[in-house]
Amino acid sequence: MNNVYLPITVDHIARVEGKGGVEILVSDDGVKEVRLNIIEGPRFFEAITLGKKLEEALAVYPRICSFCSAAHKLTAVEAAEKAIGFTPREEIRALREVLYIGDMIESHVLHLYLLVLPDYLGYSGPLHMVEEYKKEIGIALDLKNLGSWMMDELGARAIHQENVVLGGFGKLPGKATLELMKKRLQEALPKAEYTFELFSELEQYGDVEGPITHLAVKPRGPYGIYGDYISASDGNEFPSEAYREHIKEFVVEHSFAKHSHYHGKPFMVGAISRVVNHSDKLYGMAKELYEAHKDLLRPTNPFANNLAQALELVYFTERAIDLIDEALAKWPIRPRDEVEIKDGFGVSTTEAPRGILVYALEVKDGKVAYADIITPTAFNLAMMEQHVRMMAEKHYNDDPERLKYLAEMVVRAYDPCISCSVHVARL
Amino acid sequence: MKGKLRIGFYALTSCYGCQLQFAMMDEIVQLIPNAEIVCWYMLERDSYEEKPVDIAFIEGSVSTEEEVRLVRKIRENAKIVVAVGSCAVHGGVQSWEKDKPVEELWKAVYGNATVKFRPKPAKPVEDYIKVDYRIYGCPPEKKDFLYALGTFLVGSWPEDIDYPVCVECRLNGHPCILIEKGEPCLGPITRAGCDARCPGFGVACIGCRGAIGYDVAWFDSLARTFKEKGLTKEEILQRMKIFNAHNPKLEEMVEKIFREVKE
Repeated sequence: MNNVYLPITVDHIARVEGKGGVEILVSDDGVKEVRLNIIEGPRFFEAITLGKKLEEALAVYPRICSFCSAAHKLTAVEAAEKAIGFTPREEIRALREVLYIGDMIESHVLHLYLLVLPDYLGYSGPLHMVEEYKKEIGIALDLKNLGSWMMDELGARAIHQENVVLGGFGKLPGKATLELMKKRLQEALPKAEYTFELFSELEQYGDVEGPITHLAVKPRGPYGIYGDYISASDGNEFPSEAYREHIKEFVVEHSFAKHSHYHGKPFMVGAISRVVNHSDKLYGMAKELYEAHKDLLRPTNPFANNLAQALELVYFTERAIDLIDEALAKWPIRPRDEVEIKDGFGVSTTEAPRGILVYALEVKDGKVAYADIITPTAFNLAMMEQHVRMMAEKHYNDDPERLKYLAEMVVRAYDPCISCSVHVARL
Repeated sequence: MKGKLRIGFYALTSCYGCQLQFAMMDEIVQLIPNAEIVCWYMLERDSYEEKPVDIAFIEGSVSTEEEVRLVRKIRENAKIVVAVGSCAVHGGVQSWEKDKPVEELWKAVYGNATVKFRPKPAKPVEDYIKVDYRIYGCPPEKKDFLYALGTFLVGSWPEDIDYPVCVECRLNGHPCILIEKGEPCLGPITRAGCDARCPGFGVACIGCRGAIGYDVAWFDSLARTFKEKGLTKEEILQRMKIFNAHNPKLEEMVEKIFREVKE
């Protein structure tokens, strides 16, 4: 029986979405246990929406998480539309993707500037940086406002977008607004590039370097959000519908969120996984930046996720402009098609800001008969725990405060969304 | 008011949307010189749940034993407690099935596996501690935060809105979704303050700000209108309960309509 010292714990990790803690147990012969305690209460989303009207369930799902509510709404709506056998028009799909990109921009900016950057600049939080880093905070606010405004215009608001409905949108902005959106995206591009430069200079800790299996949705066209297949960095590819054959969820006792394994092992999803698996589908400025900085966008370090998000800020800013053009080419656009709510089953997999988001919905008599939702953070938890352990193994003899800090930084690099992870799925 | 206003923002079980809305206000930069952030984990590593504050903003429903302890601690340490958003004020969407035992929901999700934390049925903060003021919405509008903060900073307090979304809808001149489209809009029973945001987009209100207080949420009248449009009692109850599951009057008022003599 080895002596286990007092655990090194962070009860509540700051500057992440949601409530979780880290616990590191050290004994005479090194690190014994590393646990990510997910302590936020479960909300049983799948269980409470069973038997409910489809439209009402679709209004409730985004409440799983505010940082990615548009991702939840759009993925749930796609799964529901697949279930009832409805395919939206091209221009509606394009505009939904623009809305999704608004979420992507807002979420990445929030994570990079407000949650991650303070660590590197030696601050406890972004509110202390306002005086010293006016330019950076200014850019963060500008880009954040752009993402929020895109969601306001296309989603009715930036958090919980009620304007996305079965069959399309409740109402669409006018042509002038879409033109203005393009203009604002063009103006934002240099700010996105500045963000990439800024983050390309930040340290990626070598302590957690090692092989990682990356999973990402294979985009239908260019690099992006929607897709019907999941690709793995081991060369595998499988249809979205078959996600349960490849990814197994299981309960761990120190967490309200389940863990997941791909073929029996932890894996990673998120911006870096998208870049690793689908860099060949990038284009424009982001493609050039990727080619020039490949060595920093390594598949072997979770800290590369921060830079990958910065790269995506550049990419998605340009991509949104092209998608708006695609929609404008079909102007005027009817916002909504009549849908008939038939029985059926549909699976949607999209790339939320933090990685693969899965919705599987069965619809019967206009009601939800089965729901399974798996969120990126739930996919990531096992891998995250492993990376925190690697960090602990290198630093357990350091000052505990230093280890806590480094462990938190690993968790922050993943940009976890703990509210998402505890929404909990059925077994 | 002496010195800086000490503020704490605490989260229970929620989607973090209220805090996000608060953090996303550009005005927050102007607020900083007048305030000391004592606890706000989402943005501040130097956060202390134990320290006294002038104003405690609480987001989320009480859903675990730990959260019961936390809200009691916050109440002891705070001069003013503000429940923020639908989860804290009304129990949130996670209360939609509040009559199903938590064990049943638990089994549906975790099977027989054990987790070392204990969940509880989601409840509003007010079920456990005294709440002084409320900020409504899912999420609240930015102006709701600005209004509340503004009043606190000048030593006053925020007044509740006591009229329905329909008032704002009429003022905006939106077509009535309930009458003209026949869709089950909850505007008539829902507390205003959103400027009829969703009806403005042609989308029926789902009641995210919760029912109007002061016993003027006429669930019965609206239930009768819905019934005339062909909705069953179950459908009406389920829709009204998305954000009002804990409302003590809702069920009896809807039941009343369905007990009326059939013509």
